[in-house]
Amino acid sequence: MSSNNYWKGVEELDQTQEFVTSNANEFSEGLPLEQVFSNDDATRANRRDFLKYFGFGLGAVTLAACNKTPIKKAIPYTEKPDNVTPGVPLYYASSSVSNNEGFPVLVKVREGRPIKFEPNKEATYFGGGLDGLGHSALLSLYDTNRLPGAMVAGKRKAQEWSKFDKEVVAALDKTATSGKSIAIITNGSTSLVTNQAIEDFKAKYSNTEVVSYEPITYSGIKRANKKSFGQAIIPAYNFDKAEVIVSFGADFLGTWISPIKFHSDYSKNRVPKDGKMSKHYQFESLMSLTGSNADVRVPMKMSNVSQHLIALYRELGGATPHQGMEVAGNNIKAAAKELEAAGSKGLVVCGSNNEADQLLVNAINMMLGAYGSTIDSTNYYKGQSADEADFTAFLVEAKAGKYGAVITIDANPVYSHPEAEAAFAKIPTRISTAITLDETSVEATHIATNLHPLENWDIKEPYKGRFVVSQPTISPVFNGRAVASSLVAWSGGKVADKDETTHAYKYTKAVFAKAIGGDFNKALELGVVENTSSSSVPSFNITGGAAAEALAQVKGAEKELILYQKVGVRDGAYGNTPWAHEMPDPVSKVTWDNYISISMPDAKAQDLETGDTVKLTTKSGDIELPVLVQPGQTKSTYGIALGYGRKLPEGVKNDLKDLGKNAYGLVDMSAGYADYTVGGIKIEKVPTTFKYEFGITQTHYSIEGRDIIREATLDEYNKDPMAGGHVHKPKMISLWDDYDYSKGHHWAMAIDLNSCTGCSACIVSCSIENNVPIVGRDEVRRRREMHWLRIDRYYSFEAPAKKDLSMSIVHGGDQTVEAGEQMTKEKVMEAYSAASENEATAYDYYENVRVAHQPMMCQHCDNAPCETVCPVLATTHSSEGLNQMTYNRCIGTKYCGNNCPYKVRRFNWFRYNENEKFDYHFSNDLGKMVINPDVTVRSRGVMEKCSFCVQRIQSTKLAAKRENRKMKTDEFTTACAQTCPSNAIVFGDLNDQSSEIAKLYANERSYHVLEELGVKPSVQYMTKIRNKK
Amino acid sequence: MSSFYSESTFLALIILSVVLAAIAALLFGIKRHLSALNKERNAEEDEPSLYESKIKPVIDGWNPTIATLVIAGLFLVVLGGFGYKFGMDEVGVQQGYAPSQPINFSHKIHAGQYEIDCKYCHSTVEKSKSASIPSLNTCMNCHKYVKAEEKYNGKTSPEIQKIYNAIGFDGENMEYIEGYEQKPIEWVRIHNLPDLAYFNHSQHVVVGKLECQTCHGPIQEMEKVYQYSTLQMGWCIDCHRERGIDSENNDYYEEAHKNMIAEGKDFISVADNGGLECSKCHY
Repeated sequence: MSSNNYWKGVEELDQTQEFVTSNANEFSEGLPLEQVFSNDDATRANRRDFLKYFGFGLGAVTLAACNKTPIKKAIPYTEKPDNVTPGVPLYYASSSVSNNEGFPVLVKVREGRPIKFEPNKEATYFGGGLDGLGHSALLSLYDTNRLPGAMVAGKRKAQEWSKFDKEVVAALDKTATSGKSIAIITNGSTSLVTNQAIEDFKAKYSNTEVVSYEPITYSGIKRANKKSFGQAIIPAYNFDKAEVIVSFGADFLGTWISPIKFHSDYSKNRVPKDGKMSKHYQFESLMSLTGSNADVRVPMKMSNVSQHLIALYRELGGATPHQGMEVAGNNIKAAAKELEAAGSKGLVVCGSNNEADQLLVNAINMMLGAYGSTIDSTNYYKGQSADEADFTAFLVEAKAGKYGAVITIDANPVYSHPEAEAAFAKIPTRISTAITLDETSVEATHIATNLHPLENWDIKEPYKGRFVVSQPTISPVFNGRAVASSLVAWSGGKVADKDETTHAYKYTKAVFAKAIGGDFNKALELGVVENTSSSSVPSFNITGGAAAEALAQVKGAEKELILYQKVGVRDGAYGNTPWAHEMPDPVSKVTWDNYISISMPDAKAQDLETGDTVKLTTKSGDIELPVLVQPGQTKSTYGIALGYGRKLPEGVKNDLKDLGKNAYGLVDMSAGYADYTVGGIKIEKVPTTFKYEFGITQTHYSIEGRDIIREATLDEYNKDPMAGGHVHKPKMISLWDDYDYSKGHHWAMAIDLNSCTGCSACIVSCSIENNVPIVGRDEVRRRREMHWLRIDRYYSFEAPAKKDLSMSIVHGGDQTVEAGEQMTKEKVMEAYSAASENEATAYDYYENVRVAHQPMMCQHCDNAPCETVCPVLATTHSSEGLNQMTYNRCIGTKYCGNNCPYKVRRFNWFRYNENEKFDYHFSNDLGKMVINPDVTVRSRGVMEKCSFCVQRIQSTKLAAKRENRKMKTDEFTTACAQTCPSNAIVFGDLNDQSSEIAKLYANERSYHVLEELGVKPSVQYMTKIRNKK
Repeated sequence: MSSFYSESTFLALIILSVVLAAIAALLFGIKRHLSALNKERNAEEDEPSLYESKIKPVIDGWNPTIATLVIAGLFLVVLGGFGYKFGMDEVGVQQGYAPSQPINFSHKIHAGQYEIDCKYCHSTVEKSKSASIPSLNTCMNCHKYVKAEEKYNGKTSPEIQKIYNAIGFDGENMEYIEGYEQKPIEWVRIHNLPDLAYFNHSQHVVVGKLECQTCHGPIQEMEKVYQYSTLQMGWCIDCHRERGIDSENNDYYEEAHKNMIAEGKDFISVADNGGLECSKCHY
């Protein structure tokens, strides 16, 4: 296999003029040399100017030197809490903030300040990882826009809670007397504490109705399960038990239901063991994170998903009354064959929100025997359980004036539902419990400001019988009050004004004793309590045939819009988290933006290019956004991410303000459920004078045909474990003496390209651990992102084997991509044009691309090219194999960055802290609390890069020395490895023979990137194996 | 006018420029007057001065280029020497820094006279990177009873009273005041390492087995604490070169100790163990 087949983006593949020029240059933007050397007096720097600036500089320096050294204060505790040791972190078991159904994490706390989320390895069911947004959401605690306390509309200052409560109670009492109802809108909460408080509230206000609301729902699954076996639930999916996974548009690794857990489970079977690994078919429209990891990825129009499901159902032997359209294509046939062989170890999932589709999926899974094996409907998933029908009913009645008051808890419907604002306006008393001014709370009459989840006690039940307990990790930053306490206070319970946290504690403890029982302190220590029952198989009341019949009439749309979630943004609830927005999207590599993603054939047909602005019109509205050409996307499908266009408070002045456009208004509600696939759309090009420029990281570095990614098929691997790694290796002659690492430690890293899904959680974890600054969209456009760790995403083409391309889309792909041969662009074009004479299909080969993800960070080379060119010895080599970067020595020549073959060094163009232009958390007192005190905050003009988390190495070594013992095997790991939900990154000491890294280094799949340069990296990659013939 | 230069600097500059301008005007006047006088004198006598007869011919004999270079070179050497001594080498070095503290706490009394162990107050020195300034409840362990009344005519010492005021203790009735708003003591930090250097007390005290006095000097004799060492990198390095690690009694160094014996040595310095590598302290 030739490495020439890989490309990072369409620009590189087509070698557009722009790409070639910018690639040849050392700098992405031209240097202003002409301006400097021109004869134009206005712009030319002359001798007088030089003397002026020189003189001024000298004077300024002299004056600055006159300043006295500032006096620093050291302020100890007046009464030190027993368990706090200044300088030593404490870890509390808690629940992730953004995964609000409850996801166990540890919170690292320094001197009373939570500074990082770390996975809770005790909670094995959840997989011991975390996602990028989960890490980023920590900043919501240090949000400068948080409300100071109980707020009343029209007043800027917080009220006394007792006075505020009187007002609220008076308003609530009025609803009872006037015969109106109170609505409580929650996010389908899994919080036992909130739910108990709502019960208490209902005891006083019997006119209360509880409405569940989630911006994105899975009601199709719930409704189908209700019909299939009488339980309106989302089951638990066990991807770890699945040997064959077939997904129809479900992005289960990125955004679907519970992706972090799915990640961990999925990756368990992705590394070949005894000649076997799981097989993953993905039929989808947009190129999702999940699709980019599939063994067989088949482009499909989401509006055709019903036909695909019927075809699969029939192929598996299911009886349907109708015949005709639903003829199985080759890939469906292949999938059916493998599913049949796998039996109860097969799993079919579907991203459609249509009940009938899900009924058929249920029938297929039942036929396979997946229930009780890969699907658990007994210990089912309890999160995201809202059904949009409830909220639609609420809206109708609210408009009719049924409600006298509404209380919103953890929900922001005015943002995510186009009709909510008008309905809310009809309700006289609107009580919000938000912690900032969001779209709903800004219109509220009263805001009973909640505590941040990290300041509060809570018990959540994400899965039936699995409880996640959280505790405060910081004393309340502002004068908020727990929602449960507020509800209790309004329903007549006693909540003393200065006693909010105490009340929340007692209340939570009482709920724990009632609902779970046992040792509360033990539960707090572990963070999880498991009380599950053994999984049983439900009895079905409905056959797939009936569902298939209902679906047979469904016809695919000609053009369709797919509203999806981005991995780092999700439903948009955590809009004010710059870390998440700066994290490049795992597939498109775009930061800070949403866009309309289109396929290459459509782009060519409609004369569109990345950056052109397009107006997309649906039945329910229109939206204007720039387009992005996405390889792998199905023809005639258009994708827009939800979760953008948040209206953030006035205080926000950075790139987060007015970020993207809100697409929630385009969700199709006409069929009684939220359909995220919208048909009947119109696309128009909007004439603009300029092309929109994305902050996109994918083409910042080019591959130049080098052997960077290696891959092989499972068959090849089974025949030869070294498959994919047989490349010509030149004889190595070194100019330098080898390092002797035999004494002490030898740190190294191994990255398994088979496990790595590209989810990008490691990027955010690294940024938080190492105080990596946020630079904003404009600086990313200038290629100045500061991430120490990036994930390179490479595309390559796949060839069709069969000729009948015209049928491919409807029938699940008649072009078998099973053949698995990687091809160059020219070969693919040849194959396609041979297969089709139709002009319109000329660019169809862009639908069939495969993807490889590769995390890339400093490789800590033994013969490091950066070290030899540094004129001031700011980067040097350690006796433990680390390439050390010493910021205080660096004078910023950037020679090292230029000489680095992996392009992993980052230059600080600005002082990103204390800088108005970079108004993110580094620039305000509250946001600075998240800074890791063990890592230097770098200043302008120095280079920086991955340090292998040297602060963790040092502190673990020190702990061993202090305790008079040897270091334990795999006692610690780096921030990226620690957070990886699929365990793709392993770090450790090569000198410890029992360590995991030592074992991985002996693996046949191992290779070094750019081995031929002889730089001897300390990071080893493992060839990607795809489950193909 | 915040951190760049203070208001007093600005005022001083204005005064200085006024004075300089005045001097310039004065000198100009004198010069004009003198040249007028000189013209008058030259008309009467024309005898060469000492300068014109002896010194000027010597100077005229010099090669102007070489002379300029020599003078400029000398100037640079002298200035550079001064610059190095009082500039580069001394910038930010606060050896001897002894600021006044909000409470006149005497280490001489506590550590010297009463021989209280350093670790009693600086309790985290063996566990953490910072030795930590004790919180007030540590002070109260003794000072709830020790009020030095004998020195102050039966009244609580004003310095000890400061502790009571901060933590909210009623010395007369011997009880803590309910609902008192506590005010932490704002000590002036004496030892200031830059943010770019990582220093860990526990490493030096527990693993390195150093005495506090090695770096902090005769602290038990200090009425007012001052910075004893320079805290410069050279000072760190010197010590890392000279001192050995206790490889024999620490299991962590088991391999290193074996290697040392195999190589026939009896000493591993901190530097030998990688203690001079950049990322041991800078990250």
